[in-house]
Amino acid sequence: MKDFIIVGSGSSGGILARSLQEGGADVTLIEAGKFFRKDTFPRTEAAYSSQLFWGGGLEFDDKAKSAYLRAKCVGGTTNVNQCLMNRFDDMAMDDWRDRSGIDWLTVDALNPHYDKVEDLMELHTFEKKDFNRNAELFTGGCDKLGYGWKYLRRGQKDCKIEEGNDCIGCLGGCQRDSKQSTLVIGIQVAEKLGLEVLSNFEADTVVHHEDHVVLLGEHEGQKKELSARRMILAGGSFGTTKILLNSGLKKALPALGKGFCQHPQYMAFGVFDEPVDSHKGAFQTVASGDPNMRKAGFKLENVYAPPIAVGMLFNSYGREHQRLMKKYRYMACIEAAVRDQPEGGELDVDKKGNLIVRKTLTEQDLVRADKGIEAIHNVFAAVGAKEVVDSPFYFGLHLMGGCSFGTDPNKSVINPDFQVHGHKNIYVADSSVFPSAPGINPSLTIMALSQKMGEELLKN
Amino acid sequence: MSKLISNAAVRGIVRLGNIIVPGDGDMPSYEEYGGYEHVDDLLEHAPKSDIGDLGLLLSVLSFMPKFVLVWLVNMMGASHGKGNGLWILLRQLDMGIRGIVLSTYYTEKGGASFSGTAPLDGIDYSITRMED
Ligand SMILES: Cc1cc2nc3c(=O)[nH]c(=O)nc-3n(C[C@H](O)[C@H](O)[C@H](O)COP(=O)(O)OP(=O)(O)OC[C@H]3O[C@@H](n4cnc5c(N)ncnc54)[C@H](O)[C@@H]3O)c2cc1C
Repeated sequence: MKDFIIVGSGSSGGILARSLQEGGADVTLIEAGKFFRKDTFPRTEAAYSSQLFWGGGLEFDDKAKSAYLRAKCVGGTTNVNQCLMNRFDDMAMDDWRDRSGIDWLTVDALNPHYDKVEDLMELHTFEKKDFNRNAELFTGGCDKLGYGWKYLRRGQKDCKIEEGNDCIGCLGGCQRDSKQSTLVIGIQVAEKLGLEVLSNFEADTVVHHEDHVVLLGEHEGQKKELSARRMILAGGSFGTTKILLNSGLKKALPALGKGFCQHPQYMAFGVFDEPVDSHKGAFQTVASGDPNMRKAGFKLENVYAPPIAVGMLFNSYGREHQRLMKKYRYMACIEAAVRDQPEGGELDVDKKGNLIVRKTLTEQDLVRADKGIEAIHNVFAAVGAKEVVDSPFYFGLHLMGGCSFGTDPNKSVINPDFQVHGHKNIYVADSSVFPSAPGINPSLTIMALSQKMGEELLKN
Repeated sequence: MSKLISNAAVRGIVRLGNIIVPGDGDMPSYEEYGGYEHVDDLLEHAPKSDIGDLGLLLSVLSFMPKFVLVWLVNMMGASHGKGNGLWILLRQLDMGIRGIVLSTYYTEKGGASFSGTAPLDGIDYSITRMED
């Protein structure tokens, strides 16, 4: 029997696969999606959107108000994300500690684990020389208004930006293993040490026994059963919560599915007379770094998107749609990401076992969103945008919660030792354990938590 | 043409596509570009249940008069920020239909007989990918 089966290969699963394999354990990594590598990632937006994501591109909440993006491929969402690497601050950790009752949830306690995962990757902090025009407009506007901004830090190596590479392409997977996804820094390293990877394997349920765990699922369309001494669920907020709900754990763990957060993101476009070419070069180098915005519960990100996504965000038809799309090169873009309250979100399954996402933005979330959108308009006005186009949609890229950490089994799902309460052989350290939204990019912290859990598992 | 949805459903996409991207002097209409010939490239990765439902609805829509389709598209556009009930269905339709139309329009793959300025060239989009 295997020592560990890891279900899901993103920020959490990819790091665990490496640390457990390096520690000498016998590990199988299973992943619902396909196994793409740098030379096989689809190269066009239409192809990668449909092939790399759950739902064939997008998923929605039950009221179709919010769209969600999460990857379905070996390496998970780290293949398609921007790989911006941030540590959490005291504000985020204090809230986690208050909600969970777990006293080791402090920045100081996590720092050694942040250090260890950072040692696994190449990190680049951007400088002014990396800016494209979108970043110049953003920082120029912030400076005029007295808004604080900061350079971003990204997991990347040898991106060849100065030779003309356009980083927006790697939103569909990096074609040069430059982005420090867990495919690159975790799985491909562990494969060399003998890691077994089963792609196209979707786990449905788990059954806990005293000395092992059985997993039931479908591999390449065939029903399959696997067993291991310990099972690590790393399917992300949606994936892990769905498996535990379908395994019938809701009765014993009433908090299962509760507390879903998403950092609702609102995008707006500023139209200029001259080309901005927001899609060229290093396409996300700066963000707001303003303590007042942090306190107000939102941040601004300087981003853009490829054409199909931009067209979807406009929500206009006919001539107006075409007029706006012809301005594609003339648009700067800023997004407001809100630190939302966990009380408004819940994950559930229907009778067929399909995931249902219920998400109502609270009054506080809406106030925060309004403030963020107002700040975007101020920045665009300060740098002379001719027109500002707000997207009527909000969406979620940071999917968190559903299996919250905590000491109390009535209010949480995962105990301070990363085990499902009352199920000592099932472990979780992915984004589903977040007790609340940090308002900060989550992936580095998911990796640090997973690194900590891996270390503890190897000690035992 | 499609192995996954009926010819009527494809016709429904084309008619809706022409309302969403009618074309102008510089850009082809949805139908002229012909990207819908490759719609299976997208649909083969979508959940099977979604394709069944959407295919059926598109087939029905393909027989509707144009003014009904224009009305529907306007209602889909107006549905965001609105309440529940029928608005939910309209929002789902909006995302589903626009998703297919825009993904088969702003793409490198046009129809077999298309010659002219492709939509991505019309908006002057190009990126450089430096392979390893
Ligand atoms: C476009 C985009 C940009 C982003 N940019 C950033 C950024 O710059 N910085 C940052 O910190 N965060 C970013 N994020 C968010 C970040 O990538 C995620 O929060 C993080 O990857 C979540 O990690 P995870 O391990 O919980 O889940 P994931 O990375 O999503 O991995 C879960 C994996 O489990 C698999 N899985 C799920 N269910 C099953 C099942 N039943 N059986 C088998 N496998 C299953 C999934 O297919 C997936 O591969 C971004 C996200 C997106 C979508």
